[in-house]
Amino acid sequence: MTALHETVAAKPHAAAHARVTRKDPRRWLRFAVAVIITAVALVPVAVVVLLALRPATGSSSHAFITFANLINVFRTTDTPIWLANSLAVTLGTVVVSVAVAAPAGYVLSRGRSKAVSGYSLLLFVIQSLPVITAVIPLFILFAKLHLVDSLVGLGIIYVGISMSVAIWMMAAYMDSIPVSLEQAAWIDGASLFRGFRSIVLRNSLPGVLSTAIFTYLVSWNDYLVAIVFIRTETKFTLPLGVESFFQQNVTDWGDVMAVAIVMMAPPIIIFAFLHRYFSVGGIGGALAGT
Amino acid sequence: MTSAVGTTKQPDGVTAPPRPRRPARRLDVNKTTMIALVAPSVLLLLLINAYPLVSAANQSLHNGTLISSGSFVGLDNYKAVLTSPSFWQAAEFTLVFTIVGVFGSWAVGLGLALLLQTNIPGRGVFKVLLLLPWVVPIVVSATSINYLVATPSSPVPSLFHALGLGTPLFLANPTWAKVTVCVYKVWVSFPFMMLMASAALSSVPDTVYEAAQMDGAGAIARFRRITLPMIARPTYISWILMTIFCVNDFPTIYLLTGGGPISATTTLTVLAYRTVFQNFQVGPGVAIAFMMTLVLVVVSVVLYRQIRKAAFQ
Amino acid sequence: MAEMRASNHVSRRGFLGMGLGAGAAAVLAACSSSGSSGKAASGGSGGTMKFWDMPWAAAAYNTAAKNLVASYKPASGLPSASYQVIQWANFTETFASAVASSTGPAVSTGGGFQAFQYAQQGAIAYADHLIQTLKSNGTYNDFLPGQVEAMKTPAGYVAVPWQLDIRVWWYSKPIFSKLGLTPPTTWNEMMSVGTTLAKNGHYGFGTGAGAGDFLSQHVMVMMMINNGGGLFNADNKLDVVTPRNLEAMEFVHELAKAKIIDPASVSYTTDNENAQWKSGKFAMGINTAGLDVSTGITDGSLAPMPGPLTGPHGDKACLVFQNNIMMYKNTPSQAGSEAFLAWYIKHMSSYWQQNLLTGLPVLKSIVALPQFQAQTPRVEAVRNWLPYAKNYAAVGTVLSPSLAKVDGSQQLTAFAQTMLSGGDPKAALQTLQSSLEPLFT
Repeated sequence: MTALHETVAAKPHAAAHARVTRKDPRRWLRFAVAVIITAVALVPVAVVVLLALRPATGSSSHAFITFANLINVFRTTDTPIWLANSLAVTLGTVVVSVAVAAPAGYVLSRGRSKAVSGYSLLLFVIQSLPVITAVIPLFILFAKLHLVDSLVGLGIIYVGISMSVAIWMMAAYMDSIPVSLEQAAWIDGASLFRGFRSIVLRNSLPGVLSTAIFTYLVSWNDYLVAIVFIRTETKFTLPLGVESFFQQNVTDWGDVMAVAIVMMAPPIIIFAFLHRYFSVGGIGGALAGT
Repeated sequence: MTSAVGTTKQPDGVTAPPRPRRPARRLDVNKTTMIALVAPSVLLLLLINAYPLVSAANQSLHNGTLISSGSFVGLDNYKAVLTSPSFWQAAEFTLVFTIVGVFGSWAVGLGLALLLQTNIPGRGVFKVLLLLPWVVPIVVSATSINYLVATPSSPVPSLFHALGLGTPLFLANPTWAKVTVCVYKVWVSFPFMMLMASAALSSVPDTVYEAAQMDGAGAIARFRRITLPMIARPTYISWILMTIFCVNDFPTIYLLTGGGPISATTTLTVLAYRTVFQNFQVGPGVAIAFMMTLVLVVVSVVLYRQIRKAAFQ
Repeated sequence: MAEMRASNHVSRRGFLGMGLGAGAAAVLAACSSSGSSGKAASGGSGGTMKFWDMPWAAAAYNTAAKNLVASYKPASGLPSASYQVIQWANFTETFASAVASSTGPAVSTGGGFQAFQYAQQGAIAYADHLIQTLKSNGTYNDFLPGQVEAMKTPAGYVAVPWQLDIRVWWYSKPIFSKLGLTPPTTWNEMMSVGTTLAKNGHYGFGTGAGAGDFLSQHVMVMMMINNGGGLFNADNKLDVVTPRNLEAMEFVHELAKAKIIDPASVSYTTDNENAQWKSGKFAMGINTAGLDVSTGITDGSLAPMPGPLTGPHGDKACLVFQNNIMMYKNTPSQAGSEAFLAWYIKHMSSYWQQNLLTGLPVLKSIVALPQFQAQTPRVEAVRNWLPYAKNYAAVGTVLSPSLAKVDGSQQLTAFAQTMLSGGDPKAALQTLQSSLEPLFT
């Protein structure tokens, strides 16, 4: 029974190869290069921040920077509701995604038959249809199931869209957990499921987190699916909310950019804390075949 | 017992003793368990991915509208699409866009991943900041790009003018618009490639590098002979994923240029969308989407074989 | 390991079995759902009619509309109405998916030709009975001449007009007076005014053809109409390569050559255009009746020209879109829809009373409102431009579903972009004709 309680020490890999241990000028050169590249890459983002902090069109303020838009957006628009909806949908999507992808990834990882490789190829292939053509047939189907204009229905679609990559990621991570541990457990009489749950899943936290982060990003920024499936303003997610600021002939850029900042903040925060876990390990393992 | 070659080291010396024979019941439970584990995902895939695929195939063989199915026309839609010049123009730009998008973002992403592997100060901060292009909503970043390049008095054209490089019309001139769209796509995509490359690089054991260094291999030789082959599989996977992302990418182009000017930046996805939702020609539009899917499938299968070959180094 | 292989062997069969079964189910579902033809499901939304509206102006308009609809008190036995805003982005998808799944509205505004399209596909409830009602209670006579009749098709009236989206020439008074110019009245005058503007760093043909900006499509069509041409001929067939159209496009070509057109306008969005007007780069151009509001230049320095230009053959014309309200078959009660719509038409004057819309009203009584009369540009548009307005079907007069395929299409945008960059008029017109023709088979 001890086999079940063995854990594999799965630390995130130390990223530094630390080719030089002494401080040398090249280190600062590399730093400078990084700064320059980052600065250039972030110019469009700087524009977003700038426009969010400028007074809105039609306002009487002549200040160069104002936080009025950010405050305004929370007080007078439905941004808090949209934020809550977005968080709820993505949280639900992430949880269900992991719950569905982890077992499937396990099968992909442990199963070595042709059917399983075929399944993994199918996963690749099946996400190739452009979303825009899938939206209307899906809408009709979901309408029959009374899942339109519903955040639950939206979440189900997000899970379906991110499924392929989620399964791969889980499978790839699970590949790095040696089967021998489960085999030892099986000998001790544990079932396949128990082996999966107590050994593999327990040691797959980085894989789970990677999958969670990826799924989160897919659903957080989606707009093409949401705009057709959600109509009631109180059910809008943040991308739909942003879109609602685009009126017939005039757009209020201050508000749009302020909401954009609200949209960007959670992913940044999540990444800031969890980026070490966004590891796909030997992701090729899922496709290594028999 | 074999896991993927070239990934984490396994604890050695653990081999299972020969397994005792089990009652047949055990087999059934295993099979049931495996199917049960995989069933929810299969159901979802069929519902969300396979069903629209079948529906799309059906629509492409009819001449219906968005709300009615019309009558069966066989392959007429495909014939019409394949003989229209706008299809081939879009196909050509899709190819250019995808190649530049995939390899451009990979080159930038890999370069940055390599850079951020070294011990520069604030490495973690850079990593997070460099993710922003991927995280910004497209409608917002498209607006930023427009702000930066759209009119002759915008920042970037003004800069070009000040540097004596003339005043390119970044969005109004067909060739420049193509360049702008491709650069925009690389900008949006490099963070994803950077993450993939980062993860792949960190899975290469230090010992291999140390051994090579002791053998006197220089940095470039180490990179070419060790790094690249060892990250081959994740690299191929990232190429496949990015190819799918590029070919299917609708908002990046549509929100920046609308597919113009004069359809210069129209890719097959944009063409399909226009055909279905602006020209209301559902059959032909879906036929375009279907053919795109077919091409992606072929590309995926080809690269899939490459990956399997890479597994047996 | 033999164990593992054995269990996989069995699960493969299980796999395939499941796959086939589910695949068959998916196919059946696909066939049955795409077989539905969008006809109404009986019972609709049970008890409340859904009224879908678009963001026709700033958010204040939709708030007012919501309140207006909430104040509707139906007669006994008739359903009340609920209000919903639909975003312009991807609105064709939203409406199509709703109608196809019978979850659509009972009454809605939308695209200018949407009613004609959906009528052809059997989803619209014709408004003939409602028009009768309006005739008998006098409201019909309150409509500006010809507006209601424009909604007529051989099978009946597809909708009721409510707001006119017109295109007029604007000019900047301060720039003109600084350069000693007066607004042109003919095309020749336009060319000379434009040339003077160009010499002084201004553009005389301000427009945009970028992402999401359909203004220059309308501008090109308007130039054709101004010369007695148009996209369609008198038989309502697509006929783009005509002498009048060619003449009009040659004029545009000359404007481009004389640098009266901003070459970057090929990619301008509405925001870029507004910025160009605000900075004074645009001094003259065709736009909606609400350009002063869109640009924020509300001090009167931006004004519509006194009237349409006279073309080389003496034609005076401009373009108008007749936005309308349509009723769908999928409603809890057709009588309820009609009662609501009749009530709405009577009460929509409140939008113009509160100056929430820059679209022109379609009722004479609203035009007469003091609040509307205070909106000088709009009043001028109604008085000086509307009498000469032709709709998209010009030279023909019958609006049809095919117009929906043409308006907003990439083919027209590409054509406009070609003309704005100084392309050859004849080749551009021929390309336009050949690229639009497949849409009409």
